[in-house]
Amino acid sequence: MAKSALSNTKGNLGSLVVSALFVVVGLVTLWDTTSYTDRDSQVFPQTVALVLVLTAGISFVTQFLRPSESDGFGPGDWWRRLLLVITMILACFLMPVVGFLPAGAIAFAGGLVAAMHDRWSIKTLLLYWGFGGVIMMVFFALFKYALHVPLP
Amino acid sequence: MELSQFISALTPFNLALALFGVVAGTVVGSIPGLTATMALAVLVPITFSMEPASALILLGAIYTGAIYGGAYAAILLNTPGTPSAIATTFDGYPMAKKGDGDLAVALACFASVFGGLVGAFALLFLAPPLSKVALAFGPVEYFWLSIFGLSLIASLSSGNVIKGLAGGAFGMILSTVGVAEISADIRLTFGSQMLIGGFGVVGAMIGLYCIPVLIDLVATPDRHLKVEDDVRSVRIGEAFNLAMKSKFNLVRSSIIGTLVGILPGAGGSVAGLVAYSEAKRTASPEQRFGEGEPDGIMATESANNATVGGGFVPTLVLGIPGTPPDAIVLGALLVQGVRTGPTMFSQSGSIVYTFIYGLIIATLLMLPAGLLIGRYAYKSIVTIPKAVLVPTVGFMTIIGTFSIRNSVTDVFLMLCLGVFGWVVAKFGFSASPIVLGLILGPIAEQGFVQGWTIGAATKNLFGMFFGRPISQAILAFTLITLIVPLYMARRKSRVQEVSDNG
Amino acid sequence: MIKNSLVKTAAAILLSAHVGMAASAELSGPVSYVIPFGPGGESDISARFQQPFFKEKFGQDLVISYQPGGGGAVGWASLNGLSGDGHTIMGVNLPHIIIKPAQKDVGFKTEELNTFYMFHYTPDAIVVNADSPYQTLADLVADAKAKPGEVTLSGSGKASANHLAQIKFDKLAGITTTYVPFKGTGAAVAALLGNQTKAEWGYTSVGAKQGDAVRMLAVAMGERHPLFPDVPTFKELGYDMTGGAYRGIALPNTASAETTKLWSDMIGEINNDPEFRKTMLDGGFAMLDVGADEMSDFMAERIEEYITDARAAGLIE
Repeated sequence: MAKSALSNTKGNLGSLVVSALFVVVGLVTLWDTTSYTDRDSQVFPQTVALVLVLTAGISFVTQFLRPSESDGFGPGDWWRRLLLVITMILACFLMPVVGFLPAGAIAFAGGLVAAMHDRWSIKTLLLYWGFGGVIMMVFFALFKYALHVPLP
Repeated sequence: MELSQFISALTPFNLALALFGVVAGTVVGSIPGLTATMALAVLVPITFSMEPASALILLGAIYTGAIYGGAYAAILLNTPGTPSAIATTFDGYPMAKKGDGDLAVALACFASVFGGLVGAFALLFLAPPLSKVALAFGPVEYFWLSIFGLSLIASLSSGNVIKGLAGGAFGMILSTVGVAEISADIRLTFGSQMLIGGFGVVGAMIGLYCIPVLIDLVATPDRHLKVEDDVRSVRIGEAFNLAMKSKFNLVRSSIIGTLVGILPGAGGSVAGLVAYSEAKRTASPEQRFGEGEPDGIMATESANNATVGGGFVPTLVLGIPGTPPDAIVLGALLVQGVRTGPTMFSQSGSIVYTFIYGLIIATLLMLPAGLLIGRYAYKSIVTIPKAVLVPTVGFMTIIGTFSIRNSVTDVFLMLCLGVFGWVVAKFGFSASPIVLGLILGPIAEQGFVQGWTIGAATKNLFGMFFGRPISQAILAFTLITLIVPLYMARRKSRVQEVSDNG
Repeated sequence: MIKNSLVKTAAAILLSAHVGMAASAELSGPVSYVIPFGPGGESDISARFQQPFFKEKFGQDLVISYQPGGGGAVGWASLNGLSGDGHTIMGVNLPHIIIKPAQKDVGFKTEELNTFYMFHYTPDAIVVNADSPYQTLADLVADAKAKPGEVTLSGSGKASANHLAQIKFDKLAGITTTYVPFKGTGAAVAALLGNQTKAEWGYTSVGAKQGDAVRMLAVAMGERHPLFPDVPTFKELGYDMTGGAYRGIALPNTASAETTKLWSDMIGEINNDPEFRKTMLDGGFAMLDVGADEMSDFMAERIEEYITDARAAGLIE
C-alpha cells in the first residue's frame, strides 16, 4: 500500500514534468515561427503550438489540483531498460565507424543480456548467441545484397 | 474485359508469380521498416524481361501481401509493420495479450482478403467513374478529412482527452520539422543538419510503438503474450464465424478503404483510421474498442487492403499515383511502354485487365498463404524465448529504420523518439495520438494553406471551407464522432448516479 | 544545338565500343542510383527509362532507390559521404540544388556536388483543363488583368521551378496571379483536373501524360516541342522565357577524374541512343547534353539565372 502511494506521487510528478515539457515545446515552436519568411509556413505550426500550450497547460493545472494519477514507470529492473537503450544508441553512433554488423552485434548483445531473466546454461548460451549470429547475418545479407541497401 | 484476359492471368507462370508475390509481400510487410516501396523498387528491373502483365501481377501481389503482412507485427508486437496497420494495433495487441493472437491474425487475414477483393472489383468495374472521386477532393476536403482522422484522438484516449489532444498537437509539430513541403522555409531544425529531413513517418512509428514495447519487455520476466496451456489448433473456424457476424462492418470498411485509397495522398493509414473510427462510432454498447475488439481489427484490415485496388484507380485512369508503391508500378508501366492516363483503358486494355485479374487472384491466394504464414508467425513469436525475441526485434528496428533513407540519423531519431515516447506514455500521453498527428499533420497543413490561398484569391474563404458539399458531409461526420461519445458518457454517468443514489 | 548533338552522336558511336569496355573494366557490380525524392516524379521516371539501357550497354544493373526528405536536401547532404568508386550515383535537380543552399544551410553547397551530366529538362508550361475557357495564353493574361489575383495556378512546391516560372511570367506579362503550391507534380495536376485551380504551372511532361484531358497554352522552350507542334513557345508569344527543371546525375566528390569522365561518357552514350531519345521525347521531356567538361560553365549560368530570379521574387535574401 505504501509502495503504491509512493508510485502515485511519482506518477503525479512525472505527469507534471511531461505536461510542462510539452508547454515548453509549444513555446519554442512559437518562437521558431517568428523567423520564417513565408507566411504559409507559419500559420499551421503557430495554430498547433497554441493548441499544445493550451492542452498541456490544462493538463498541468488539473494534475496539480487533482493529483490522483496512478501513472508511473511500473515495476522492473532499471539496469535492463538502460542496457537495452544504451547499447542501441551506442550501436547507432558506432555504425559509421565500425560498420553495420559489429555495431548491430553490440545492440543485439545488449538486448540479449537485458532480456535474459533465466540463468544462463551452456545450452542457452550456445543456442541464443548462435541464433543471434545467424539472424544478423541473414538480415544483413538480405538488405545488403538482395535489397541493395548501402549498409556501412 | 473478356474471358481471354482472365485466362491469360491464370497461366501457371502468372499463378506462381502471384503466389510468390503474396508470400514475399507478407514477409516484407511484417518486418517493421521493410516497406513494400523498397521491395518493389528493387524488383522493377526483373520485370523488364517479363511480359508486362506478368510483371504487373508480381508487383501487385507483393504490394497487397505487404499491406496484410503489416498486421502481424501490429498484433503480435504492437508495432505496425507498415503505416497502414496503425489502427490494427489498437485492438490487435490487446487481443494478443489476452491470448487471442492466433484468432486476431486469422481475422486480419479474412478481413484483408475481403477488403482486397472489394478494392480490386471496384477497380475492375468502376475505375473511370471512381476516378472522379479523386478529382472532386480539393484541398479543403483533404483538410477536413485530416480533421476527421484527428477526431479519433478524442475517442482513442477515452481516459484523458486533454492529454490525447496535447499528444496529437505534439505529433503535428513533429511533422513540420525540416524543409517544408509546400512553403519556402526550413522549420524547427535549430541550425542542425540532423533535422533537415524531418521525422519520417515509418521511422517515427517504429520508435514510438516498438521501442516502448521492448523496454517494457526486458524490465520484467513476464511472458510477452499470454498463452493458453492447451495449445489449440488454428482458430480459423472461430475467426470465420466472427467475420460472418460482422458482414456489415466488413462491407462498410472495405468501401471506406476503396474510397480513401482513391484519394492520392491519403493512403492506407488514413483509410484504416477512418474505418476504425466509423466502426467504433456505430458499435453496440457491449463492444469494447481498444481492449481487444475483433471488429476493430476487421475494420482496419479490410480498409487498408481495399486501398490497394482503390489506389490503382487514379494511378491507372489519371496517371496520378496515390501511394509510393503505386508510383513504382506506374514507373514500371511507363518503361514497359504502357501509356497510363485517360487513354489507358482503351489503348492498353488487355494488359490492364490481365493485371486486375492477377490482383484478384493474388488476393484470393492470400487466404491460404496468409493463414499459413500467420499461424507460423504467431507460433514463433509466442514460443521464441524473450531473450532472443527482444534483440532480434531490436536489430530489425535498426536495420529497417536505416534502410528507409540509408540514414544513421534516422536510426538515432527513431531511438530518441522511442525513449521519449516510452516516458510520456507512462504518464498518460500515449503513442497513438502522436503518430496520428504526425501522419495527418501534413495533410491538414497542406489542405489548409492551399484552401486558404484559393479562398482568399477568389474572395470566398467561408464558402471555400464550409460551402462545399463533400466538406460539409465530412464535417458533419466529424461532429457526430465527437459528440456521440460525450453524450453516451454523460448518459452513462447519469445512469450510474441514479443507481448510486438508489 | 542540333549540330552539336549530331557531332556528339557520331563521336559517341565511335567511342561506344571503347566506353563499353572501359565500363566493364571499371564496374565490378551493380550500381546504386539514388533518387533523393519519392517514387513517381519526373526524376524517378527518367531514371527508370535509363535503367534498361544501362544494363544493355554496360552489363551491370542500375539499382534505383529512394531517399526522400527535405526536398532532396537529405540525399544531397549525404552524397559526398558515400563511396566514390563509381558504384553509387545520385540524381540532381535544378533549381533545387541552387535555391536550397542559398536559402539556409542545408548540409551541402551547390559547388560541392560533383555533377557530371545534365541529361534532360522538363520545360515549363502553362497547362489548363481541356474544358477551360482559356483557349490561348492571351485569354489567361486578359482574365488575370481584369481580375488581379483571382486566376489561380497550381504547381509543385515553393521556391521550385514552377514557382519561379510563375513569378517570372507574372512580371513579364504585367499580371498578378495566385500560385497554389502542392506536394509534387501529381498533386498539382490532380488539382487542375478537378478544377480546384484555373490552370497549372507544370511541364511539357504533364501534357504528354494527360493527353486530351488537358491543353497546354505555351511552353518555355527555344523551339516547339516535337511532341506538341501546335503549342506555341512563350517566345513566339512575346515573352522572353525559356527554361524549366533540369535533371542530371552526380557522383560523390571523392570520385576520381577518370571515374567522372567514364560516367559522363556512359550517360552520354545512353542519351544519344535514338531509342532512348524517342522514349524521353514521347514522355514530354526535352533532351540536354551537358557532360562533365562543360558542367562548370553550365552551372555558373544557371546559378546566376536562378539566384537573380529568386532574389527578385523575395525567396532568398
